[in-house]
Amino acid sequence: MTAPETEPSAEPSGEYAAEPLAGPSAGAAVSVEDMLLHFEVRQLYTLEANLLDEHRYADWLELLTDDLHYWAPVRTNRLRRQQSLANGGPGEVAIFDETKASLQWRIRRFDSGMAWAEDPPSRTRHLVTNIAVRPDGNDGEYVAESAFLCYRNRLEREVDLYAGGRTDLLRRDERGRLRIARRHILLEQNVLLAKNISTFL
Amino acid sequence: MSLLPRDPAPAADVSEYFDLDRGLLDREIFSDNGLYRQELRRVFAPSWLFLAHESQFRKPGDFFTTYMGEDPVLVTMGKDRRIRAFLNVCRHRGMRVCRADAGSAKAFTCSYHGWAYDTSGNLVNVPNGDDYPDDFANRDWGLAEVAQLDTYKGLVFATWNPEAPPLAEALGGMTWYMDAMLDRDPEGTEVVGGVHKWVLEGNWKLAAEQFASDWYHVNISHASALMVMSPTGKGPKQEIVQTPGRQYTDANGHGAGFPTHPKSRFDDRIVHRHYDYDQLRERLGKERVEGPMTTGHATVFPNFSYLPVNGSIRVWHPKGPDRMEVWAWTLVDKSMPDEVKNAQRLYNLRTFGPTGIFEQDDGENWSEVQATAHGFVSGGLTLNYQMGLGMETEDGVHPGTTSRLYSDGAARGFYTRWRDLMNTPAWHEKPRAEQRSTQERS
Repeated sequence: MTAPETEPSAEPSGEYAAEPLAGPSAGAAVSVEDMLLHFEVRQLYTLEANLLDEHRYADWLELLTDDLHYWAPVRTNRLRRQQSLANGGPGEVAIFDETKASLQWRIRRFDSGMAWAEDPPSRTRHLVTNIAVRPDGNDGEYVAESAFLCYRNRLEREVDLYAGGRTDLLRRDERGRLRIARRHILLEQNVLLAKNISTFL
Repeated sequence: MSLLPRDPAPAADVSEYFDLDRGLLDREIFSDNGLYRQELRRVFAPSWLFLAHESQFRKPGDFFTTYMGEDPVLVTMGKDRRIRAFLNVCRHRGMRVCRADAGSAKAFTCSYHGWAYDTSGNLVNVPNGDDYPDDFANRDWGLAEVAQLDTYKGLVFATWNPEAPPLAEALGGMTWYMDAMLDRDPEGTEVVGGVHKWVLEGNWKLAAEQFASDWYHVNISHASALMVMSPTGKGPKQEIVQTPGRQYTDANGHGAGFPTHPKSRFDDRIVHRHYDYDQLRERLGKERVEGPMTTGHATVFPNFSYLPVNGSIRVWHPKGPDRMEVWAWTLVDKSMPDEVKNAQRLYNLRTFGPTGIFEQDDGENWSEVQATAHGFVSGGLTLNYQMGLGMETEDGVHPGTTSRLYSDGAARGFYTRWRDLMNTPAWHEKPRAEQRSTQERS
C-alpha cells in the first residue's frame, strides 16, 4: 500500500495567531492616562450593557457613530492549515453586517408592538470584561478589545448563552464622548445554539 | 456496497394521523420518537435530499460536510471534477473522517487509525496494512457512497435509494416554479460564501410545511417586519394584505406559494432595480415573473426550502423529534454586478437567518408549538389543515394543481406524501423482508 498524496503539514504560519492585544503588554509601565482611558472605556461598555439589558435600543443607538459598521461573521471549522478561512470574511454570510441605518431599521421593529420574538421580552444580562484599549494613531480614535457573555432567559425556561470577543474602533465625538464607530464581533459558536439573536452584542 | 441498515422496528401505519379528506392532522407526528425513527428510514433515506450548491466546488479537492437526515455526509469534487457524496464515517471504526465544515484537501485521513481516502472516496492507505488478511482489499473498504447524485440548475441533490426515480422526475412539475429563482440569469446562480447554521427546538416538519404552504402566517407573525419594510412605516396597505396569489401542490409533496399582486414584492431596492423585468418576462413568462418570482415561499419535499426574493435557500436538518438545525445559504444570480450581489446578501441576512427581522419570529412560533406538544392531552390534539379544502384546481395559468394563496393545500400535499412514504417499505427493507420469508418457509 502506498502512502497517499497529502498536503505537507504546514508550520504555523501565524495567520491564525491571535492578533496582539490592544492594551499594554505584560510588564509594560502603566500611566495614569492609560488608567483614565481604560476607566472611560469601561464606563462606556457598562452603560451600553445596561441600555441593552433594559431594551433601551434608541438610547443605545446614541452610542454609535453615523458611519458605524457592526459586523459578526460566521465561524467555521476549518483544517488547521486553512485557519485563515475560519472566520467569515467581508462579503460573506454573516450574523450581523450592519450600518447605523440598518440597526435603526431592526430596532423600529420592536416599537411596532408586534415583534413576537421579544414579546413578552427576554431577560438578558450583558457582561463585558477583558478590556484592553490603545490609541489608534488617529487623533481621538482608539481600538478597544473586550470579551462578552450575554445570558438570555426567555419565557419559562429558555436559556441561551452568547459568548465572544469584540474589537471596537472608538472615536470621540464633538463633545469629547467616546462613541463606537466600528464593532467586529467574534461569537464563539459554529452552529448558533439559539433559535435567534433578538438582542445586540 | 450494499446499504442495508439493520432490521428496523416494526413500522407504524400512520394513516390515522392524517385525514386528507377532512384536513385533520394528529400532532403526535411532531413529537413521537418512534415515528421520527421511521421518518429517517422511510422519508429521508429513500428521498432525494439537498446537499449543497455546485458553486461551493470550484476545483478538485474542494469539499463540504453536511447531513442527509441524521447521516453525516462528505461532499467532494474529485480529480475528475465530478461531485460525489459519501457517508462521512470511516469504514474501520466509524470515526467521522472529515471534521471541517468545508475546505480543500487531497485526501481525508481518519484521525483515529489513519485510514486514508482520496477525494473520490477510495481507500488509499491503511497503516500496518500487512497485518490484515490476504484477502483484504482496499477497493472493498472505500467510503460508503450515495446511490445517486445529480444536480438541478446548480443545486446538488443525492439519495441513498438506488431505486429512486431520476432527480428531474422526482422534482417533476416543481421545476417550473423553482426556475423562477434558478433560471432568472442565463449564467445561472451561485452562493455567497458561508452558511448560516442554527438550532431550533422544533420538529423539522413545522418549518418544511410552513415554507411549502403558509402565506397565512405572514401578516400576523411578521407584522412587525412588514411594518418596518412598508414605505409608510405603518404596515402594508390592505390591498397587499389581502393579496391575490396562488399556491402550488403536487403528488411528490412539493409546494410553493406566491402573491400575484404586482406590488407584493418585498425585495431589496438595489436588486429590484437590477432586474430588467421586460427581459425576465420574455425569458420566464409574465405568469412566472408576476407569480413565483414575487415574494414567494417553497419547499422541495422533504426538507429543502427557499425564498426567491430573499435569495435564501435552506435545509431543515432533523435532529430528533423535537429539534432541527437550519442551514441556510444566500443565493445570487451569477452575472449580477458585485454591488447587487452584496445588496442581496445584506437583504437576506437582515430579513432571514437567526437575526433576520422575519425569521426571529418564526423561531418563536416553532419552539412554542413544539413545547406545547409534550402534554398528554395537548400532544394528541387534532390540528386544523382545512383552509382551502377542496379548492385545488388547474387555474390555466400556473402548471399543475394550485389553490388560493391563503390555503393549506400544499401542507395537505406535503403530509399526503409523508403518509404514503411512511406507509411504504423503503428499498432497504425489501431484501430483509425476503430473507425473513425465506427463513419462515425453511
